[in-house]
Amino acid sequence: MTNQQPKKEYALLRWLKRGFFGAQRELTILEEEALQSPFQTVLKNFWARRISRISVIVFVLILLFVVIGPLVLPIDLGYQDNTQQNVPPGFNMLSVPKELQGNIKMIAPGPTYGVGVDNNGKVHTWGHLRVTNVITLEDIPQEVLDAKLVDVASGYDHVVAMDDQGAMHIWGNTRLGQAQLPNDMASAIRKGEQLNIIQIEAGNQFSAAVNEEGHLYLWGNSNLNDIKIKKAYQGNVAKVATNINTYFILTKDGEAAYAGFQQNAYSTVPEAAKSGVVDIAATGFTNAALKEDGTIVIWGNASRGERNIPEHEGKIIKIFGGRNHYSALTDKGEVLSWGGNFFGQTNTPKADANDPVEQVYTGFYQNYAVTQSGKMHAWGLKGYLLGTDQFGRDVLTRIINGGQVTMTVGAVAVLISLIIGVIMGGIAGYFGGIADMLIMRLCEIIGAIPFLPLMLILSAIMGTRVSLEQRMYIIMVILGLLSWTGLAYLVRAQILSQREMEYVTAAKTLGVRESGIIFKHIIPNVISVIIVTATVSFASSMLTESSLSFLGFGIPPPTPTWGNMLTGANDSIVIQQYWWRWVFPALIFSICTICINLIGDGLRDAIDPKSNER
Amino acid sequence: MLKYILKRLVYMVFVFLVVTLLMYSLYNLIPSDPARAQVEPMRNTLKPDQYEAMYKQIRLEMGLDDPLLVRYARWMGLAPNHLGKYSGLLQGNFGYSNFFKKPVIEVIPEPMKYTIFMNIFVTILALGITIPLGIKTAVKKDSRLDRGVQVISVVGYSIPIHIIALVMIFLFAVVLRIFPVMGMKTPGSNYTGMQAFWDLLYHVTLPVLVLTFASLGSMTRYVRAAMIDALSMDYVRTARAKGVREKVVIYSHAWRNALLPVITIIISWFLGIFGGSTITESTFSLNGMGRLNIQALYNKDYELALAIQLFYIVVSLIGRIIIDLSYGLVDPRVRITK
Repeated sequence: MTNQQPKKEYALLRWLKRGFFGAQRELTILEEEALQSPFQTVLKNFWARRISRISVIVFVLILLFVVIGPLVLPIDLGYQDNTQQNVPPGFNMLSVPKELQGNIKMIAPGPTYGVGVDNNGKVHTWGHLRVTNVITLEDIPQEVLDAKLVDVASGYDHVVAMDDQGAMHIWGNTRLGQAQLPNDMASAIRKGEQLNIIQIEAGNQFSAAVNEEGHLYLWGNSNLNDIKIKKAYQGNVAKVATNINTYFILTKDGEAAYAGFQQNAYSTVPEAAKSGVVDIAATGFTNAALKEDGTIVIWGNASRGERNIPEHEGKIIKIFGGRNHYSALTDKGEVLSWGGNFFGQTNTPKADANDPVEQVYTGFYQNYAVTQSGKMHAWGLKGYLLGTDQFGRDVLTRIINGGQVTMTVGAVAVLISLIIGVIMGGIAGYFGGIADMLIMRLCEIIGAIPFLPLMLILSAIMGTRVSLEQRMYIIMVILGLLSWTGLAYLVRAQILSQREMEYVTAAKTLGVRESGIIFKHIIPNVISVIIVTATVSFASSMLTESSLSFLGFGIPPPTPTWGNMLTGANDSIVIQQYWWRWVFPALIFSICTICINLIGDGLRDAIDPKSNER
Repeated sequence: MLKYILKRLVYMVFVFLVVTLLMYSLYNLIPSDPARAQVEPMRNTLKPDQYEAMYKQIRLEMGLDDPLLVRYARWMGLAPNHLGKYSGLLQGNFGYSNFFKKPVIEVIPEPMKYTIFMNIFVTILALGITIPLGIKTAVKKDSRLDRGVQVISVVGYSIPIHIIALVMIFLFAVVLRIFPVMGMKTPGSNYTGMQAFWDLLYHVTLPVLVLTFASLGSMTRYVRAAMIDALSMDYVRTARAKGVREKVVIYSHAWRNALLPVITIIISWFLGIFGGSTITESTFSLNGMGRLNIQALYNKDYELALAIQLFYIVVSLIGRIIIDLSYGLVDPRVRITK
């Protein structure tokens, strides 16, 4: 019912309007009403309320976000990376400090941070430097700040730096032997001997150093990593490269060799890499050897396209490894990148023929290239808009894809309960008698089953017998099967009151079939009430799914939902320090359900003019 | 009236039997072999054929090979077991908890005590807030207070309880550090008597707040709607026309009539908080029925889970019968039409 009076307009304006657009007769209220079907009236009343308008717009935006979002940011359910755990929101991983730019001696990219040394031997750090609650790489020891550094390497949770005196400085997480130099190295340093280290490397809780004589020093967590060296290779090492738990070497004779003792995917070096190798590099799970002729041999677990070396001009002269991509420098000063590209880590900058790239620093998901003129290009992972979770997965991607799952579950459950509820309520209300009695008893039985506990049992029964996808569908169906009773009661009550109406009598006299009367005559008259209930039960289905998944009995990880993203968040450390892991999913979920309920409220008010007065 | 009560009771018994049968058969879908579990420890001490005979014997004793309905009847206490004795639910035998290694009946009382203890506080608090608030907003309909409460109540019933719990923990336990994050008692403490009670109270305050907050939204709305309906009745207008004081009109004329739908809601809400406390209990690691249920399911302790399930069913059936009876008592029309 609208009480809108025709708007008062200035006479001149009206006159002009008439002049240009022809006379438009102003409608009286009655005429206006006559032109509107009840449904239109409802919509108009609904739209007239600001709060309904806002909630529809917000809800549609969220809907678009979760429908279109997964196309833009698809989820890789198998992806996890423990080097990216609990990274807070922010985009500072490539923000090289101003003082370092144009003055770079060395950059060592770490998992979520970067460490650089400038030509004055001063150390710079940037990015997310926190390793654990108490350890952060920002705490650079004073001796490092005082020293004149010449080389630096960053591992997963520690940094190794060497100064011009040949002394080693290690900071960060040093709890697992990361700072325990091997005996021969330590005693040499104590005696003040020059070690002539030419390369330092840092990996997953271990570090390596090579000196001029070809001696390889290895230290760190030996339980996790294969950090022993076979005697045959000692003294003949030219370069070392580290992947996730192992290292391999380039000998002075140009052979890429696995010098450790374990048997694994990396220990069998391909024939081609056993001679004529000039450079080596490793990603997390593959090793690579660059041969004299510019060809590259790759072995290991190449699952992210590490073998797909792109077409290129010129000869590759150097190769660098990230977490799961490689970068290479050609003799023309061009940079190539290939492999996993989900953070843009292989989107190399355009080559500039006048200013060729001289040096490339690649590690994890970051790349830095320095040109002849000292200009620096940085590409790769800048950071995460909403941070990462305990497995290093991007929270934004999970929110988008989780929203899709949660909304689909809610929608399918509502659809099922709508179909069953309307049919059952229709039959019970119209026919009465035995059908009514049976259906009402059925409703009572279903109503007597406490919902949450029942769902808990059902998922316990399902256990591991059904696949993740089947489990999702089963949960949708069960949610629908258990939530139709409220709707059935409502439809029944509505029909009981409509059954005595004249239009039903008229339909009967015309000989319309019973089912026709219920579903073609009565239901359309009560459809608006049904829509309201469906809206509200859409929200409540989403709530139930979220509670179930939160308890660990709903849709199991790694499939994300807005419920199971909060699992494990009831921990004071997570709540306080890793707030982005629960705040964002909770926020978007709450906004979504609030909007749905407000829409339901608005519709109810629009349908029932009496409730406006309430 | 008596006929009506009897009719409802018969229906309830019928519903109870059907629901328990449903539950029982659900649990029987879980692949497990209790007989095998019982003889397994003796596998090394017995010869293979003895072992097999023992297994068959225990299977027979447990009646695992009988049809489902017979087993159900036995479990219910409606049919004799292999010894010819009736020993089921009706005789007070709720089964044996494999995890706690004692009868279910001994496991349940402690958690049940905590759950009821907590829910009593929630009930008092929630009703103490929502009823006055609902009445106030109904009387001052469309005032600024009313509109504000309306919006807040939508927010209240739209947010799932575990998110409310997270926010409350963040506010009260992490930022303000007033209440503990989780647990039932101060670790390492050994209080008795009054001290233990205060300690428990200190630990359940936050969960009680969470549960109360979660129920404010919908309850306030129900009370308000019922009150508005009652206030629009003719007798209210008559009373006002007679010059009865407004307070008397509201609390004596209108509120009494609004009470019936409110009672219905209160009872079904009261049943609902038992379900809601499952999430709260597991969030705060409280030793209540809900958490026990989840633990039983995690530990594959199905007889215990079934017994807890039964508790929920009985609570909901009793609630329903109270609703029906109070309706029948107050509203004569209900008795006639049913």
